[in-house]
Amino acid sequence: MRSNALITLLLVAAAAAPVSAAEPLRLETRILAEKRVAAADGTTRVALSPATRAGPGDPVVVEVRYRNVGRQSLGGVVIANPVPRDLVYRAPRTGPAPELSVDGRSFGPIASLRVGNRAATLADVTHVRWRLSDPVTAGGGGEFAFQAVVR
Amino acid sequence: MTKTVMRRLLLSGTAAIAGVAGGQAHAQAVPPSAAATTKAGTEIRNVASASYSVNGVTQTTTSLPSILVVDRKVNLVVERAQDADTQVSLGQVGAAVAFRVTNKTNDVQDMLLDPDQNLGTIVYVGTDNFDMNNLKAYIDTNGNGQYDLGVDAEATYLDELRPDESRLVFLAGDVPTAQLSQLAIVDLHVTVAAGGSAGTKGAALVQTTLNVINQDAEVDVVFADNDSDGIGGDGLHDGQARSYLAFNVGVRNVDLVVTKTARVISDPVNVLNPKAIPGAVIEYCIVARNSTLGVAASNVTLTDSLPSTITYVPGSLAVGGIGSTCLLDGVPQDDDTDDGVDPATYKGSYDTANRRVTAIIPSVPGSTTLNASFRATIN
Repeated sequence: MRSNALITLLLVAAAAAPVSAAEPLRLETRILAEKRVAAADGTTRVALSPATRAGPGDPVVVEVRYRNVGRQSLGGVVIANPVPRDLVYRAPRTGPAPELSVDGRSFGPIASLRVGNRAATLADVTHVRWRLSDPVTAGGGGEFAFQAVVR
Repeated sequence: MTKTVMRRLLLSGTAAIAGVAGGQAHAQAVPPSAAATTKAGTEIRNVASASYSVNGVTQTTTSLPSILVVDRKVNLVVERAQDADTQVSLGQVGAAVAFRVTNKTNDVQDMLLDPDQNLGTIVYVGTDNFDMNNLKAYIDTNGNGQYDLGVDAEATYLDELRPDESRLVFLAGDVPTAQLSQLAIVDLHVTVAAGGSAGTKGAALVQTTLNVINQDAEVDVVFADNDSDGIGGDGLHDGQARSYLAFNVGVRNVDLVVTKTARVISDPVNVLNPKAIPGAVIEYCIVARNSTLGVAASNVTLTDSLPSTITYVPGSLAVGGIGSTCLLDGVPQDDDTDDGVDPATYKGSYDTANRRVTAIIPSVPGSTTLNASFRATIN
């Protein structure tokens, strides 16, 4: 069953690929894990690799990459990423800190958010959003990432 | 991939994002439970969306989902469900120790139960010198929290233990009759097994091998349990746990024999060879002899009711003399019933109304003889 689902996904991806060519902004997301890698000079650095082992309590990194594959400059780019239900948002990792939301409507820093009568915590965050101040020129792109933990 | 073209009149860019985000939120309708961890096999799908404008027209785009399958993080706790070792007597049938097994895995699991006998020394319990007979694991069938012989069912596994669910497991067996039996250390060895089918004993889990590619799309078995004993019986990340308890033979039968003798100390007439005539003083000697090697008899209470033909000599009671004759007296006791202030560890009293002498010896060590003596006059 698992492999069938995978194949289906791959087929969908293959079918969708030509369509994406028509869209000027290409979005890609990956769920990764931080791994400590020993470098040749004896130091260790933290590298990202696909999250092969992820159980409850394990940290993961959610990465979002964007690229303008069209010929025109794109303005007012806003990238939103609903935090999957089984992940808890922890911290920004790559790029500027995203704006957070606990309801998908109002965004801001965590200190400004409330759930009912209480102040919101990171566990309440349901959506993150990045707003790009500069237009994305043709061929330009970038990436954002945030740290999360499996519930 | 979806592509939506909207008129600016209708929605701002931010609002469009909210619309897309709301759709995603709808797919996550089940409310998250803070206490429960994510179940093994759950697909975590992440989808990013973006809005932007090209030549004044707002467009949105959505990424393909990135999928992470939550692995089976195997953990369990086996702990003692009683504060101290179980005190047993030689030959006792159906003596039990209690453990509590908790499933800390993020899915329903079976737990294989393995009762183990231990030999040798386990530092924090003591020195094991005998094995229990018929040692088996039992579950608390009637749910009363204690082992009931003949009621609680024998079990080789716990069936379908939910995440965070605990169940009691008893190790019960029979105590041998060998006199030297002192301490039997046992442990409950639990192995996490596959769950999912009620009434069926699952196979022990095997950790997914490292370095298999594409593991992010499979439910890996990851052992996350700690070393539960630190003495080599259990290991780190092995999907197993142990907890130790002991059967301690604290109650034994000892060969205790009590005898009473009397001798005339003096009479009003004869200086030598006193005779048992009215007015003569008689010393009674009550002897407690413990013939069992190495095992003390505890709380030995000696009582003697005096016939009406003799009168107790006040203050004559002495307890704790050594030997089978009362030539060496023990510690003199007062006659009142308030034993709290009696000298040494012995206690004694004389009940005038019932004409009864009571002597209490807290412990008669193995292979020793202690006595109590008192005097009375013949009326």
